[in-house]
Amino acid sequence: MSEFTRRLPVYLLLDISGSMMGDPIEAVRNGVRALISELRSDPQALETAYLSVITFNSAARQVVPLTELMMFREPPLNAGGATAFGAALRLLAECIRAEVRKSTETQKGDWKPLVFILTDGAPTDEWRAAAAELRSTHPANIIACAAGANADTTILRELTDCVLLMNNLSAGDLSQFFAWVSSSVKMSSKSLDAKPGANIELPPPPQGFVIVP
Amino acid sequence: MNRIAEATLANGRKIPYVITDNPPRGGMKYTYFAPDRSYVVQFYNDPSKVDRNMTARLEAIIGRYNPTIPESKGGAVGGDEKLAKYFAERFCWPTDLVVAPEIGLVSPAYPKSFFFDEHASKFLELKGKDKKSNWFTSGNRRFLNKSELGDFRSMLQMSLLLSRSIRRLHQAGLAHSDLSNNNVLIDPKSGNCVVIDIDSLVVPGLFPPEVAGTRGYIAPEVLATMELDRNDPRRVVPGSMTDLHALAVLIYEYLFLRHPLMGPKIFSAESAEKDDFLGLGEMALFIEDPKDSSNRPASLKNTIKDVGPVLEKLFLRAFAEGLHDPPLRPSAMEWEQGLVKTWDMLHKCSNPDCEKKWFVLYDSADPVCPFCGQRIAEKNVVRFELYSEVRGHSGEWKKHSEMDIVNNTPLFKWHTHSNIFADEKADGTMQAYACCHNGEWFVINTHAEGMLSPQGNPVPKGQAIRISDGTVFRASSDPRGMVIKVRII
Repeated sequence: MSEFTRRLPVYLLLDISGSMMGDPIEAVRNGVRALISELRSDPQALETAYLSVITFNSAARQVVPLTELMMFREPPLNAGGATAFGAALRLLAECIRAEVRKSTETQKGDWKPLVFILTDGAPTDEWRAAAAELRSTHPANIIACAAGANADTTILRELTDCVLLMNNLSAGDLSQFFAWVSSSVKMSSKSLDAKPGANIELPPPPQGFVIVP
Repeated sequence: MNRIAEATLANGRKIPYVITDNPPRGGMKYTYFAPDRSYVVQFYNDPSKVDRNMTARLEAIIGRYNPTIPESKGGAVGGDEKLAKYFAERFCWPTDLVVAPEIGLVSPAYPKSFFFDEHASKFLELKGKDKKSNWFTSGNRRFLNKSELGDFRSMLQMSLLLSRSIRRLHQAGLAHSDLSNNNVLIDPKSGNCVVIDIDSLVVPGLFPPEVAGTRGYIAPEVLATMELDRNDPRRVVPGSMTDLHALAVLIYEYLFLRHPLMGPKIFSAESAEKDDFLGLGEMALFIEDPKDSSNRPASLKNTIKDVGPVLEKLFLRAFAEGLHDPPLRPSAMEWEQGLVKTWDMLHKCSNPDCEKKWFVLYDSADPVCPFCGQRIAEKNVVRFELYSEVRGHSGEWKKHSEMDIVNNTPLFKWHTHSNIFADEKADGTMQAYACCHNGEWFVINTHAEGMLSPQGNPVPKGQAIRISDGTVFRASSDPRGMVIKVRII
């Protein structure tokens, strides 16, 4: 049992604004539950992946700090309010700074974090500076998923090159999204086929999802 | 929602499978099950990578290189029913090529023992999940019930079976090319293992597959040269030589429950990715390297010395001398033979609470379990030293191996004959056994032909010879029969 196992930090940034009320937020709750259960049954993910949840509506909140999978407790998720996307990005940057171990001359650092963003609308706050900073400092591999007809992919494109579009906000599509997140985490915890600094490899997105070029 | 679909096989037969919403997905393929779950149908994540080279390779794997069906039924040369049955339990070998709706594979489902049942864990829902080896070789062990964990003997047995499976591949010129904790399922409870994901095999004369490899099992030379151009001759691609690195890593993990290269040494302060890339690649360093202790963890309770000199030498060749010099790595056959020899030195620990239950009793001067510190319960260590006659040098005898003897230790043909090897073809009939009666030791001949007493008289089946320290007798008078020297220490 190695004490030198490095962690793979995974951040979920979940939009819980008013437009997610009803079936969508219920589907997100189920998705998080399924994600945890799926990752806990994969030995490599269980050993390396640590998970945090940041939610945003009128404000951004880290509802679960970076936690090992066995200790993870589902946060209560209730929809309502605006879409403070910019605040969520600033909080993400702060959490990464505080929680992710850096590689140094004396310490084995964590893997570069994986961030999955799920949002269904347009930001209601100032987000551009925060997105630009994340893009230039690149502290994490960010995958953004725009859900439903109202989601604005051009905004997400300013943040990351990896943007998915899910055409509707159905329970089935949301469940597929979380299943894909789980495959992505599993794959990242196993593979080391890209040279350092190269793009990470992710499984093909589920059917009905489009990669935004 | 689930629905039944039909796959058309290369031979025209159609078979049903169940389409599910989020099928299990690996790096290369995703999997659907048969309605009765007796087989799986797998398709490739990226069908655009399926080309003529790939189907030619799959056809060869399913047919003329297949050790799990007899030669008479289109399988590998030299395989009879018995051998095919043996290897069908060791490999989850694909049985058919799917040609429609798209190119895919049919493989048997893994045997039941490689899936967790409802009693596997108090903490996790593992029922129905497959037994990937790092459930058992990592910190994840703590989530499993004790009954799942096996003991040192079952881990040694799996190491032996895996070596044999890889030897069988290499003997046919094949290489697995993506051997890893994910592609070998293990059941420590029963001491069995099965090699899966056979479709990435490297087949002689055909285009090799493109494999990504798995972190921790990719050979250092593959990582170190992966940035080179595809056509650069210095670039190393997976093959049998890199299998031998992965095999040694797996055996080390089974026996020590830790990775042989992941230690405290920092190879780069730049990033975790860079550190790993160097520490598993061009700068890789064995945590037990005898000359360089910079990657050695502060607490190493058990080391390669504790598993006996035979395995110690093999581990040193794999991870010290051969880590960056692939031809020095032990072959799968050397592992197989070394593990058989080590198996003969296993001794049951007399401490009922010992977690490992068995240990390699190699040091007769200090017969102590290295895992729990318990001294053996027996008054003496009893040793059989097996000698074989050097070919072409009549009268010259060379030590072949040693056996740890307790009451009822059996002797098999590979103990009585130096030309018989304990492999899948070996005759498992007990030839003789050692027995302790009223403080005296005997060898009882049950099936051995031509056993001779220390005085050189024939010992017919059913008869015994009395032995004591220093006794020398011939296990078989055949030209390749062993001479056994008894030591009671």
